[in-house]
Amino acid sequence: MAVRVDYIVKETAYNIIRNPSLSIATVLTVAVSLSLLGAALLIQQGVNGLQTRFKDDVEFIIWIKQDATDEQIQSVERALDESPVVESSVFINRTQTFSEFEEYFAESPEVLAAVTPEDLPTSFRVVPVNPDLSVVEQLGRQFQELAGVRQVDFAGDYIRRLNQFSSAASITMTVAALASGLASSLLMYNTIRTALFARRREVEVMRLVGATNWFIRIPFMLEGLLQGLVGAAFSAASVWGLNRVVGDAVRNADFRLFDSFALDGAQLGAIALILLGAGALIGAVGSGVAVSRYLEA
Amino acid sequence: MIKLENVTKEYKGSSIALKEASAEISKGEFVFLVGPSGSGKSTFLRLLNKQEVADSGRVLVNGKDVGDLHPWKVPLLRRQIGCVFQDFKLLPSRTVRENVSFALEVIGKPKHIIETQVPAICELVGLGEKIDKYPHQLSGGEQQRVSIARAFVNRPVILLADEPTGNLDPQTANGIMWLLDRINRSANTTVVMATHDRGIVDTMRRRVIELSHGSIVRDQSRGVYD
Repeated sequence: MAVRVDYIVKETAYNIIRNPSLSIATVLTVAVSLSLLGAALLIQQGVNGLQTRFKDDVEFIIWIKQDATDEQIQSVERALDESPVVESSVFINRTQTFSEFEEYFAESPEVLAAVTPEDLPTSFRVVPVNPDLSVVEQLGRQFQELAGVRQVDFAGDYIRRLNQFSSAASITMTVAALASGLASSLLMYNTIRTALFARRREVEVMRLVGATNWFIRIPFMLEGLLQGLVGAAFSAASVWGLNRVVGDAVRNADFRLFDSFALDGAQLGAIALILLGAGALIGAVGSGVAVSRYLEA
Repeated sequence: MIKLENVTKEYKGSSIALKEASAEISKGEFVFLVGPSGSGKSTFLRLLNKQEVADSGRVLVNGKDVGDLHPWKVPLLRRQIGCVFQDFKLLPSRTVRENVSFALEVIGKPKHIIETQVPAICELVGLGEKIDKYPHQLSGGEQQRVSIARAFVNRPVILLADEPTGNLDPQTANGIMWLLDRINRSANTTVVMATHDRGIVDTMRRRVIELSHGSIVRDQSRGVYD
């Protein structure tokens, strides 16, 4: 009376082969819906990466006057060390500034030729304890008043606007991911119901000859699971392709800000696993629920 | 073997299907259920394998109250009851062999039993040569033989037949009746058959239970259609 493995394997294979159009429809439905979900996850990861970069970059720079005395510089340093709201600060001397300058203007030798380290200002790079933008701005303004300080630069409004944009984008993407997840479940459920409607006679015969409900369900669930996995594999491939296109675009644009939108292998792998898991779950559970309509309590 | 005690069954929104019906059928009997459409013949059959549940009264099969049967025991009940229908209910994408095997596979019978019993039963119903044909390649009578083979392959103690000759010409119908008669006599299988076929009932001269508007109006051994 045990469930025979060869029967289940044979039935599952037969069902898929016998009804290729519905199998393909189910696989495509899963693939399209999960691709939507995958794209949403992709963008969400990108936005998260963008936010992380900004959070790391929420620092400000205190530029020192060219003619500032050592004493003035030391008093700025002391003020920074003593401030409880400063996480860390680094003094960048003329040579370091020059090497950054060299890097920045690597392709413009004429600019580099005109500048010596002595022409460049020294500065402090300051990382505040609290990355909140209003706090950072207020802190920056305090140092503006000190003697020997030429100017305090901070990303300020620019970062605030980008931050607002990225959290809005993140919320939008989460909503889109949830909506497409719901849509895929419903589409999947409907496709499976159609598939089962085509095979209601088979289920009827199984019931009449005394098959148990679980015996009837298992081949259908396994079939749904397989279709879900194949669909998810397609969607993972399309997400991978999308990421490559985005990655190329980001690199070609020479626009470092959006680097985080080109995901690395580990991030892509995580998304692929989520998609495969979702596909398997939707397929198996969707089939199981749909077949229950044709079974008695 | 089968016992109905004051069974009443009503479908919502339509007239009463069975009203206070009582009958007892012994092992090995062959019984015709006759009466016009809607008189309750199909309901009588469907109550026996718990496709329907009685509103009141008791339905006993093998001494067990079918109405009280736990849902997980219903499949076990159905393995003892074969079913044959007017429309055969064959699976069109499976061959004769696969259709008959299916009934054994889905109740978890081992492969070696399927491989010996399926050809034997196909031989018995006269389809040994056509075992690898698909239903659409067979005549109506041959399709009904496949359905009988499927119903009987697990050697049920009861065979229910709902208008099994309804779609067949008289000569083919006689062949089917000969087969059902043989199954009844040789294996001592209880056969309950709902029919409209006057000729068959009058020729076979078996027990006749007549239904009218859900009530049993006649129960006659060696009876005729009317």
